[in-house]
Amino acid sequence: MKRVLRRSVLIFIITIAFIGGMCFFAFELLTNAEDWANQPYNAHIVGSGGLAQAGIIYDRNGEILAQTIDEKRVYNDNESVRKGLLHVVGDNSLNISTAIQSRYRSQLTGYSLMWGLNMPQSLRVSHDMKLTVDAKTCAVAYDMLTNYDKKGACVVYNYKTGEVICSVSTYAYDPGAPPEITEENESEYDGVYVDNVLSSTYTPGSIFKIVTAAAAIENIPDIYERTWNCTGSEEIGGSAVTCVSAHGELTFKEALAHSCNIVFAELAVELGSDKMTAEAEKVGINKSFSVDGLKTASGSYDVSNANTNQLAWSGIGQYTDTVNPMQMAVICGAIANGGTPVEPTLIKSSTNELLKSLNLTSNKSGKELFSPDTASKLDELMRYTITGYYGDDLFGDLKVCAKTGTAEIGNGKDPNAWMVGYSQDEDCPLAFACVVEDSGFGIEYAGPVAEAAMKQAAQCIRDQKN
Amino acid sequence: MFFSAIFDIGVVALRILLPVYAIIIVYQCYAAMRRRRRPETPLVTLVNPQTGLKLPVLFWENSIGRSRSSDIVVDDPTVSRSHCVLLRRSDGWFITDTGSKSGTYVNGEKIEERTQLLIDDVIGVGNSEFEFKRGEEYHERLDSSWFFRKVNNKPAIKSWKLMLMITLFHFFMCVEAMFWNDATNPFSPLVLFAALAGVEWAFFFVSSYILRRVNFELEALALFLTGTGVMLLVRQVERSAYVQLIAAAVGMILFCVIIKFIQNPDKVNKLRFPMMIVAVGLLLTSVIFGKTTGGAANWIYIGSISIQPSELVKVIYIFIGSSALDKLQTKKNLLEFIVFSIVCVGLLALMGDFGTALIFFMTFLLIAFMRSGDFKTIILAVAAAVFGATIILRFKPYVANRFKAWRHVWDYAQDQGYQQVHVLTFIASGGLFGVGIGNGFLKQVAASESDLVFGLVSEEMGIIVAITLALAVALLVVYARAITTRSRSTFYSISACCAAGLLVVQLALNIFGATDILPLTGVTFPFISSGGSSIISCWGLLAFVKAADERTYSMKR
Repeated sequence: MKRVLRRSVLIFIITIAFIGGMCFFAFELLTNAEDWANQPYNAHIVGSGGLAQAGIIYDRNGEILAQTIDEKRVYNDNESVRKGLLHVVGDNSLNISTAIQSRYRSQLTGYSLMWGLNMPQSLRVSHDMKLTVDAKTCAVAYDMLTNYDKKGACVVYNYKTGEVICSVSTYAYDPGAPPEITEENESEYDGVYVDNVLSSTYTPGSIFKIVTAAAAIENIPDIYERTWNCTGSEEIGGSAVTCVSAHGELTFKEALAHSCNIVFAELAVELGSDKMTAEAEKVGINKSFSVDGLKTASGSYDVSNANTNQLAWSGIGQYTDTVNPMQMAVICGAIANGGTPVEPTLIKSSTNELLKSLNLTSNKSGKELFSPDTASKLDELMRYTITGYYGDDLFGDLKVCAKTGTAEIGNGKDPNAWMVGYSQDEDCPLAFACVVEDSGFGIEYAGPVAEAAMKQAAQCIRDQKN
Repeated sequence: MFFSAIFDIGVVALRILLPVYAIIIVYQCYAAMRRRRRPETPLVTLVNPQTGLKLPVLFWENSIGRSRSSDIVVDDPTVSRSHCVLLRRSDGWFITDTGSKSGTYVNGEKIEERTQLLIDDVIGVGNSEFEFKRGEEYHERLDSSWFFRKVNNKPAIKSWKLMLMITLFHFFMCVEAMFWNDATNPFSPLVLFAALAGVEWAFFFVSSYILRRVNFELEALALFLTGTGVMLLVRQVERSAYVQLIAAAVGMILFCVIIKFIQNPDKVNKLRFPMMIVAVGLLLTSVIFGKTTGGAANWIYIGSISIQPSELVKVIYIFIGSSALDKLQTKKNLLEFIVFSIVCVGLLALMGDFGTALIFFMTFLLIAFMRSGDFKTIILAVAAAVFGATIILRFKPYVANRFKAWRHVWDYAQDQGYQQVHVLTFIASGGLFGVGIGNGFLKQVAASESDLVFGLVSEEMGIIVAITLALAVALLVVYARAITTRSRSTFYSISACCAAGLLVVQLALNIFGATDILPLTGVTFPFISSGGSSIISCWGLLAFVKAADERTYSMKR
């Protein structure tokens, strides 16, 4: 009998292994429970039974963007606001993964490891969130963008505080009634679940000249003494680089204002691929920026296999160059801010735990993108682009520095229209980036959207201060 | 609004109460098992007349020999290492020689077969002699197993009180199920509860007043688990709840039958061979007539009733694997059992029921080790199994396909990992206290009430209850091991330990399979999972644990 007792230790070993396995599972549960629970198929959260338990989402002025009434998720009354903020707020289907309702679902629904999602409606502690966006600005930008019936994006953010005032992506749909996407209406909703502001990249075209200009300022000492003569077309590296028209004799400052392709193509070739790549890296073209911990899509500048002609085109934002709208807004914000950007954020206020977990308790400065000297020279150049070329009344009384772009994308499509920049005004420090796909000239398509959004955003900020 | 808040507070209070209550019940069951033991005194005493040395005989079966691991160690070079066995049966004490070199003598006569001993008889082994005396001759204090030590003097909870607690627990589950979110059929849980309570109390009365059993804690624990499984089903598939209850009642009958059947550990030995044939026959039937369900052809259908023969074979397997001490010492050879095990595991693998095959294999290791104490056998068996598994994977690559989602379930969330990711999601959604019976969503996933029941319990009753239920099953091992030396024969010791071990292996495969710690093999959670054959086999296995308690066969006065 003693012998049998001793041998039964093997059963103990198995039981201890079982208890060890349970501990391992408990550990996995503790560390991953939130991820496990926040799945699109979790019927405790999604659908009518899910967001029904979520708190209210406000815009910066306390306007309700989404709330729950009688277990139904109800969005803003204004259709333009609803559609314009679709990609920021999200919808019932939770298909837009970067939207607030998808990302902070557990925060909004009050998930906790201890209580799970099991609290009855009347006892659940759901949390409200206040966003930095302005509903009116977004609606204005959306109306402008949607007039073209093109895909596009428009973002405006405060480069001193990081608050995103406007973030609109088209196409969009009404979040209160997510469409059933079928084969027939597929084209109408192409890429509709992607927030173009954060997650899309586009060929930059002439707005990339900001980067080439920065490289020239830093590497070519006599850049301001030089003049160029633009004849409308020039052979560089075996093929032609063309301008829309012959610009005639130009200084460096005028070349950027008139957006002369030949000047910047020549500069890119003169600087060479190493210096161009180094500048693009420094400015952050090849990296993604963080918005409340979410990574934007990263642009791309890669001339490792480019010949001279391709290098020339890369200097004016063609070739394989791509950038992301939020990325461009941050880069413009950095120029305005003396070279160093402030990280954008969408969250104005929420519970302390969330703010702490996102490290949002203070403004976060990013890495320096431009030296202060380069930034101030670019500031001057971009200001001249408005005052000397487009006219200073373009943005009303805002002192705006900007650059437009018209990016050829081929494939029988019209160019992408771009406008990026910022206002110098102390009382409304706003940087913006606006892109309209498959449209035309930057100033003609992106310009009006940027103008409307900037004016409305400025008014919003000034109203708040008064 | 105010009224609904009050009502909701009540619902939440009940959800918080249940886990605490479950812990109390499981604690009370095990606490009661520790009490009401006979005092630790020797059954008889062996006295060496030359030296006056008194040796206490503690167990029902005792090995006598030179080996230090013998129960009664005789330090005499003429005594064999395992010389003979001194055993107690219902009709007295006996001694059997187990192939010693110098033979065993009673009152000077060499014994050939099992010989009865009477008080004052003289036993001769080698050059040593012992007088067979009463237990009272020994006066020193004896140590008992830690499980029974340091029990304070508070009397154990009365069995009927324990039963009342359990019934109340099931009633609370019933109330929770009545107020589920769907708000349809509010009274159907009451009907099921009435039926469940009827079965529970009927079993209690049969056990205490007809079979006149002294204790009921082990059965109470099993009733607690079984009833919880039944009540859980009322909001999944109500019909299965009744099937489960009927099967549980059949299981309880089987429980009593098996205890009666193995009452005499000597007779059992003769039944070993016929039972082997029955086991192989059952497995063969499912190989030939089995219908494939969930990748394994382990179901057979007789009319509208479907059964899983492999579940019943588990009970037979434990029966065949166990043996009394004198047989263990004379027949050290495991060959017969090894061949039988290979046939069983092979047939199960042929059905594609790898989960059950693994359970059998682990149980084989437990039995083989408890019988032989030989590590070489264990290592050889494991090596052979690894080799066999490699061969299967080499020639039948689709088998590996079934397990490719293991540890990568989120990458296969739409196909092979579908069940596991849903389990994880809904476990996390349940939190500590669950969303309430019937309010879960895991029930929409296939096999949620059987293979994935751990997730179902976690979601609807909370992770605390789920872990408490798992521990209640796992602790059976502790109890089975604690009563090992108090069994009436090593037959009961081995069968109890291995039956408890089998349940733990099955429990581990169920929980870890559903939560992606091990590959999902589709075995049931003992006593909780829905499945008639499974619940019957669990009760059958529990009979071995019950039989290992020496009090089981002594009737209440």
